[in-house]
Amino acid sequence: MLSDITLGQYFPIDSPLHKLDPRTKILSLIAIIVAIFLAGSKISYAVCSVFILGVILMSGVPFKMYFKSLKPIWFVILFTAVLNMFLTQGEIVYVFGIKTYIKYEGIYLAIKMAIRLVLLILVSSALTYTTSPIALTDGVESLLKPLSKIGFPAHELAMMMSIAIRFIPTLIEETEKIIKAQKARGGGFDSGSLIKKVKALIPMLIPLFVSAFRRADDLAFAMEARCYRGGANRTRLKQIHYKKADFFAAAIVVLFLGIMIAISFFGV
Amino acid sequence: MGIKIENLNYIYMQGSPFEKHALKDINLEISDGEFIGLIGHTGSGKSTLIQHLNGLMEPTSGTVIVDDTDIFAKTTDKLLVRRNVGLVFQYPEHQLFEETVYKDISFGPINLGLSKEEIHERVLEAMCHVGLDESFSDVSPFSLSGGQKRRVAIAGVLAMKPSVLILDEPTAGLDPAGREEILTQIKALRLARKMTVIFVSHSMEDVAKIAERIIVMNKGTIAMDGKPNEIFRRSSELIEMGLDIPQISKLILSLRERGLNINPDIYTVEKARTTLSLLISTKNDKGGNLNAQ
Repeated sequence: MLSDITLGQYFPIDSPLHKLDPRTKILSLIAIIVAIFLAGSKISYAVCSVFILGVILMSGVPFKMYFKSLKPIWFVILFTAVLNMFLTQGEIVYVFGIKTYIKYEGIYLAIKMAIRLVLLILVSSALTYTTSPIALTDGVESLLKPLSKIGFPAHELAMMMSIAIRFIPTLIEETEKIIKAQKARGGGFDSGSLIKKVKALIPMLIPLFVSAFRRADDLAFAMEARCYRGGANRTRLKQIHYKKADFFAAAIVVLFLGIMIAISFFGV
Repeated sequence: MGIKIENLNYIYMQGSPFEKHALKDINLEISDGEFIGLIGHTGSGKSTLIQHLNGLMEPTSGTVIVDDTDIFAKTTDKLLVRRNVGLVFQYPEHQLFEETVYKDISFGPINLGLSKEEIHERVLEAMCHVGLDESFSDVSPFSLSGGQKRRVAIAGVLAMKPSVLILDEPTAGLDPAGREEILTQIKALRLARKMTVIFVSHSMEDVAKIAERIIVMNKGTIAMDGKPNEIFRRSSELIEMGLDIPQISKLILSLRERGLNINPDIYTVEKARTTLSLLISTKNDKGGNLNAQ
């Protein structure tokens, strides 16, 4: 039930994308997202789709997993598509009741937006599937480091991120346990009206918060006991280094971004 | 009557690479009023098994019959099953949520849809059973000590008046005095309510103190089932399963190894004390006689 939620959904296999430095992947993701938003014409969408298909194939993660990543946002995609279809001005294609028309431009925009959303999710999933949460936070920390000169708490932010990610499975387990314990006392979580359902959450949420605070306290204590003091002069167990493949990957992404800029600039 | 477990199988995450056969074809009969100690190493399947007894987990195959009703039949009301079979989880104090002890204990009875008077009566009775007097009624459960919190949580299940009470490691993490208190209360409770009790633990000492029948689980199967003395006699098998035998059993065993003729079925401190002091006094008498001669 709850354990089906796969957050920080790292897929541990060996692929060229898995081997890349997390910083390369994060920066590439940003570049690719920019490229997706630049896309306007049919050709640019085609180029984008082909490129992202390439990324997916390189990641070695089965297609099934990518479909799974789209599952939670099907509704959003459908909803925006429907809104676009009805609310865009233009040439009327189909009359749908009083004052409701489907227009040619609406259909076009709806399809474009849907493709854009799907591409965005797919390429972000490619990052989380190929990068372990720890590598990801290390990468974020390293990228934000220059900002710490102007007082930005880069290390602290990365630490918070990794702690949060670390505790997701623990909290899910805890939630399941509490639900079971309350069910054993006759508490119901899946029956009754909406108000009843919301009320039934209280016996679950309060113990969960209490235990989350207790855990946070314990963790802070344990860190304190080992003299943890933020980012100053800390070394890492796993150093991250740029390798040849990283420059190669970066070059490809830059090339792709260049093509997308050119397409949108020349209006092909 | 009682509980009957028939060909129970449970497989975690079936079909995935993480698949684990947690319960393998379990058959078990527990009659009314028995006091059972369920022991097993971590991961032996004991927690999985007890969660099937009140329908919190659904078996992959097989079924559980409580008081002649198949609890996994579609027509069975799960609430009724959970009223009959009370389950106190490990560290039950983590499930407390209400503002006052009284309100928290009444959560179960309210879910059963009882009248106000009935609820009041049950809450006070449950508090009395776990040794909390009425002055605790309006105290916040979060301000209590660990042992007191646990007793509130146990009272929360008792207030549902189950005919079977299952306790998962009720003494875990308590100090010796707290352990002793909980054990004594469980014993007294069972006599007062004539309940069937299933006591899950991996502490042999605790189980030896109170259980009348011991079921040992190992790797998802029932490895042993019998009276405490029968179980503790098979110490080498228990140790192989990663379990321990009570310290008294160890003492008796090593005394026997050194040639002392002593009953191997002794596993409690009291019995060992009387037997050993008897042995010592007879020996001393002999010694005294020798001196006199």
